[in-house]
Parts: sequence; C-alpha cells; structure tokens
Amino acid sequence: MQETVNDLNRELMLDANAVAGLFQDIFGVEMTAAPTECAHCGAEGEMGTLLAFTHGPGIVLRCPSCENVILRITQTPDAYYVDARGAVYLRLAR
Amino acid sequence: MRQPLDWQIATVKAIRPETAKVKTFTFSLPDWRAHRAGQHYDVRLTAEDGYQAQRSYSIASEPERRGEIDLTVERIEDGEVSAYMHDVLTVGDRVELRGPIGGYFVWDSELPDPLLLIAGGSGVVPLMSMIRHRAATGNMVATRLLYSSRTFDDIIYFDELEKLRGNGHGLDVFHTLTRGQPEGWKGYSRRIDDRMLKEVIKPLRMVPQVFICGPTLLVEGAANTLVRLGLPAAQIRTERFGPTGSGTGG
Repeated sequence: MQETVNDLNRELMLDANAVAGLFQDIFGVEMTAAPTECAHCGAEGEMGTLLAFTHGPGIVLRCPSCENVILRITQTPDAYYVDARGAVYLRLAR
Repeated sequence: MRQPLDWQIATVKAIRPETAKVKTFTFSLPDWRAHRAGQHYDVRLTAEDGYQAQRSYSIASEPERRGEIDLTVERIEDGEVSAYMHDVLTVGDRVELRGPIGGYFVWDSELPDPLLLIAGGSGVVPLMSMIRHRAATGNMVATRLLYSSRTFDDIIYFDELEKLRGNGHGLDVFHTLTRGQPEGWKGYSRRIDDRMLKEVIKPLRMVPQVFICGPTLLVEGAANTLVRLGLPAAQIRTERFGPTGSGTGG
C-alpha cells in the first residue's frame, strides 16, 4: 500500500519551476534561479531544481539529491506559512 | 530586483488546434512585458461562487512578438483549468494572467553554447519558445531537438519544425514515436535511450547547453544518461510536466 502511495506521489511530482509564481508572491523576487543548500545532504543548486509536491493541502519541496524536505509552504486566507528548516539558506536577490 | 507580479486581464485573441488534445491560445496583454524563452504564465479562473483554480503554462511564442503571447495547453482529463480553456473559452473572452514567471529554465540567445533540446509530449512548448526566439533573432547556434511523442498525430508544431529545420540555420529535429508509427516512418520508434542520445549529441562538437522538458520519467532518464555520457550536470536544465499540468494546485 505504501508503495502505491509513493508511486502516485512520484507520478504527480513536478519541480519548483511550477511554483515560481507562488515564490514571487511570498518573496517578491524571482526565486527559481536563486541558489539554496540542503541542510540534510549539503547539495547546492537552484531553487527551480527542487522536487515539488503540489497536490496536498500545502506545497512540499524536496532536495533532488537526497529527497529530504527543504521547504514547506501553506496558505491560509490571510497568511503564508513557510517552514524552511530543510534549507541551510535561501538567497533573495536585492 | 523586486518586481511586483500583478494579475492582469488578458483577452483571447485566437485559438488554434494543434493536435486532438492540444490547443494554442493567443492572449492580448494590456501590460505586456518581453519574456525570456522558457518562462511561463499563471492562468487563474474564478467561478461565480468565488472558487479559484490556477495553473501555470509555458509560453510557446517568441519574446519578439509584442503585446501578446501564445500559451499551448494540453487538455487534461478532469483538469479544472485546461478543460475549461479547451471546452469553454472563445475568442474575445477575458482571463486573468500573471507573468512572465521563472528564471531557471530559460535560454537567452546571447549564450554561445550549442543547444540540445529534449522534449516529451507537451514538454516541447517552452523549447518551442526557445526555437522561435532563436529564429527571430537570426541566431545560428547549432541546435538539436529530440522530441518524443506517442503517435504521429500527437506531434505538436510538426509543420513549423519541418520548415525551420530546412532553412539552413543549423536546427536539426529528431522525432521518436513510442506508441505507433505511420507507414514509411523514418524517425525513431522507441523511448529515448542511451544509443539515441549518443547519436543525437555526437555532431555537437562543443558541450551543449541542455534543456529537457517532459514527464518526470523522461526527464530523469535523459538527464541521467547525458551525465553518464560525460556531460557536466551544470549544463543540464530540466522542467517536469505533470499529468495535471504544471500547476500550483487549487
């Protein structure tokens, strides 16, 4: 059963290019070309390369190298909640 | 650089069928901005009761076309946005759009490297924007498109690609059909594999800039093979197309 669920998730998996508009809403800048670093395995790469799971109640972005969760984003009517503990850093161009 | 990204009301200027399941929508934009080839727009629909659905679609047209963009959209069964666009939208209708969005999966015609473009299904759309941008700017950089479709009738932009490949400006196009081929088919007839990729990249003497767009399996398979063949991972950019469109949910 677990395997079925995983297969389904993988089938629906996108990459963070698909949430570029949401990034822009939250951060106010283009983020898909911005670098980040996975707090779990240390892989560095552009935000656009993160694996995106967008079909749940929130959005989960995972490291393409180790698949650890980098970012979780939830939207409520009056706020965004961003859990970024899986990233060593996020870079916002100024 | 902070850029406000506001929703604007675009008007449907034209709708053109590409295949049985794919249509191209031309939108006139009051607040048009030149995009970078590979970027996309978000499309937002609002029902009378306030329910909103939003999806992200790649731009098919070249940035040189002022005031309007083409979005090529595959109709997904049960797709809230794509089904509405295909079945309900008509010329003159107004739709909320915002963009252009994205900075990772983009190609600028100033880049000197040869181009290797790999597409699966409607993943060809952002690559077509690159090919049209290349043609519009007179760019002659050696470019090879490897495009996987299910059947001949599923190939998007076939005629235009034939015309562009024949004009002597260094574009080569390779089709592969995975679910059936017409009689006398001269292209490939299988899923993209090591041998195919080797044959396609061989004439590119320099290390190419690679863009791969399609379903996850195709994207990961092609990217892994290219790395195995010795291409630096940093030269490979990927974008996954999901079965519900590259959407942000909702």
